[in-house]
Amino acid sequence: MLDLQPLHDAILNGDAKTAKALTEQALAAGVAPLKLVQDYMVPAMGEVGRRFECNEYFVPELLLAARAMKGALELIRPLLTASGVQPVGRVAVGTVKGDLHDIGKNLVAAMLEGGGYEVIDLGVNVAPEQFVAAVKEKHVHIVALSALLTTTMPSMKTTIEALKQAGVRDQVKVVIGGAPITQRYADEIGADGYGESAAGAVALAKQVMG
Amino acid sequence: MTTDQLYQARLRRYLTALRNEQPDQIPIRPFVAEFTAKYAGMTCQQVAHDYNLAFEAAVKCAREFDWDAIVPNMVYVWTGLAQAAGLRYYGIPGIGIPHTTGFNFIEPPEDQAFMREDEYDALIDDPTGFLYNVWLPRISTEVARIGEPATYRNNLALVKSSMAMMVYFSAFGPQIQRLQNECGTVSAIAGIFKAPFDIIGDKLRGYIGLTMDMATQPDKVLKACEALMPHLTHVGLTTADPAKQVPIGFWMHRGCVPFITPKQFQSHYWPTLRPCIEEFWKHGNQTLFYAEGKWDHHLDDFATLPERSIVFHVDQGDIFLAHQKLHHKFALSGGIPNVLLSYGKPDEVRAHCRKVIDGVAKDGGYIMDASAIMQDDTSIENLRALTDFTREYGVYSAGSQPASADLSQLSPCHGADVSRLTGLTGRAAPRIKPGICRPWEEKAKELPPITGDQDLVRRVWENVEALGNTYIWQLLLSF
Repeated sequence: MLDLQPLHDAILNGDAKTAKALTEQALAAGVAPLKLVQDYMVPAMGEVGRRFECNEYFVPELLLAARAMKGALELIRPLLTASGVQPVGRVAVGTVKGDLHDIGKNLVAAMLEGGGYEVIDLGVNVAPEQFVAAVKEKHVHIVALSALLTTTMPSMKTTIEALKQAGVRDQVKVVIGGAPITQRYADEIGADGYGESAAGAVALAKQVMG
Repeated sequence: MTTDQLYQARLRRYLTALRNEQPDQIPIRPFVAEFTAKYAGMTCQQVAHDYNLAFEAAVKCAREFDWDAIVPNMVYVWTGLAQAAGLRYYGIPGIGIPHTTGFNFIEPPEDQAFMREDEYDALIDDPTGFLYNVWLPRISTEVARIGEPATYRNNLALVKSSMAMMVYFSAFGPQIQRLQNECGTVSAIAGIFKAPFDIIGDKLRGYIGLTMDMATQPDKVLKACEALMPHLTHVGLTTADPAKQVPIGFWMHRGCVPFITPKQFQSHYWPTLRPCIEEFWKHGNQTLFYAEGKWDHHLDDFATLPERSIVFHVDQGDIFLAHQKLHHKFALSGGIPNVLLSYGKPDEVRAHCRKVIDGVAKDGGYIMDASAIMQDDTSIENLRALTDFTREYGVYSAGSQPASADLSQLSPCHGADVSRLTGLTGRAAPRIKPGICRPWEEKAKELPPITGDQDLVRRVWENVEALGNTYIWQLLLSF
């Protein structure tokens, strides 16, 4: 039986090359794609998040691990799709209108992908109606809003209001994050969740999806 | 009190605090950016795109608020210049983003970084040449790449943007005089500096690219940081306050944990930053560490810098921790959250100011300011509350400097012993010295033998060459 612990470790250590090679080997040996994801890759990303929370890992390790995960997932995803396996959830991420900063948003997207979520990246300077369209057309479960500036924080509120007006607010969970954002602000504008760091994105997504 | 007396009193107050001593009262030095537009009834587009309007708005604020010092134009990026140069990395109010939004920096996707991962050697060999030959054509929609045919647009962009830069910089002198003569307000900082590691992340490789390079080619990154040190220091020194009173602005970006690891800070960020700060101090120039984000992890390292060599500005870090770790050596500024100033109530602002003053300003060495630059979301009422409260509550019973003290003795560097500082001394000289682009020796080979005063010819060549150097390094650091 193929020892797959090294795949877990390769992702944890951010070694994209090894992660990809081991994934190829495992698939060739007939290991079920879903098993690779659920038993080795997602736990590895979970451990990455844990280490970040206790200051053993920092953003560079997070990025490297997410990249290793992504490389391995690219090999697996077509097989999962072909066998009808659904992603854990579908998330639309974007930096809100008026704000063009995307590092935080990209990190959140990478962590969510690493956690088995399908991510629809709407980019930066995303108008409320674009988020509404993503909910209506892509049937996302979660809308994740990012803002770096205090000046663009109000766009989060506007986006939530637009979701309400379009009658789709009840269909999605809204989570927010970014340098000036606090739990208090999330509560004020009626968001379902607030993430302090990208490392906690998967846990937050799980929590709001119940 | 005449405006001049007001100016002298404020300058004295500000300098005393910069010296980490106790002035007559806490100086107020708000870094008001697009706030000035809001206060003056203008849009973000107006102050970003027309610096004369930005100057007007700043003067109006300085005249009507009792502030000791401000930046002559904190909406520093004149987007008219950005447009003339065709800079790709700015979202200009009214062009692609709402005219009511402040300008935004746009980081390109990783695969379109302005410097590629295999270009470190070229950067290390000749940073100025690299910026002109490789970087500039990539950051500009107008400038042609080396080897490609020159175009009308290329030529226009270079002439227009460089002349625009001269016009813009020349306008600062009169603006500073206006602030002094009409408002009695001190110009808070002079000059610009960024850490070598930060600038690679900001404008060359991008944050993600640099992070990947730190995993794959950390030695090259270190060499690049080292190669940038003399040039960045040169920019800082040549733009600093000649009177050595107000500090050099050092905008600190991504060099802090968790954006880099503690190990990377020790191996790359700090060893290539510290000598530059020492070099400034050797020249008598203090540096304002404008620590954007959270830099709590690094306070112990900053505490090893020479006494008074920096002023530490707190954004999202813990100002009380900063006080505990740094107050014995340096003055602090900031620490009033922008979210509070934008969305809080005046009473909450007053309460927070009281808490900060009680915690860090008991014996001087504190300058009142928001955590980060204030944009147009900052509430006028709240900033007034900050100002009025600080004026009422922030009065010391006795300043440490007699009002008669000679102003020259109030410069931060006055009395400092810098004789044992290393700074950049002992480092290998760059192949092309900072401050020029093409060495005179290279140019002289193209010329017939020079008669008469050879030094004059050389000096003038290098002085004009320095303008070319200023253009590209200012694009990198300021625009």
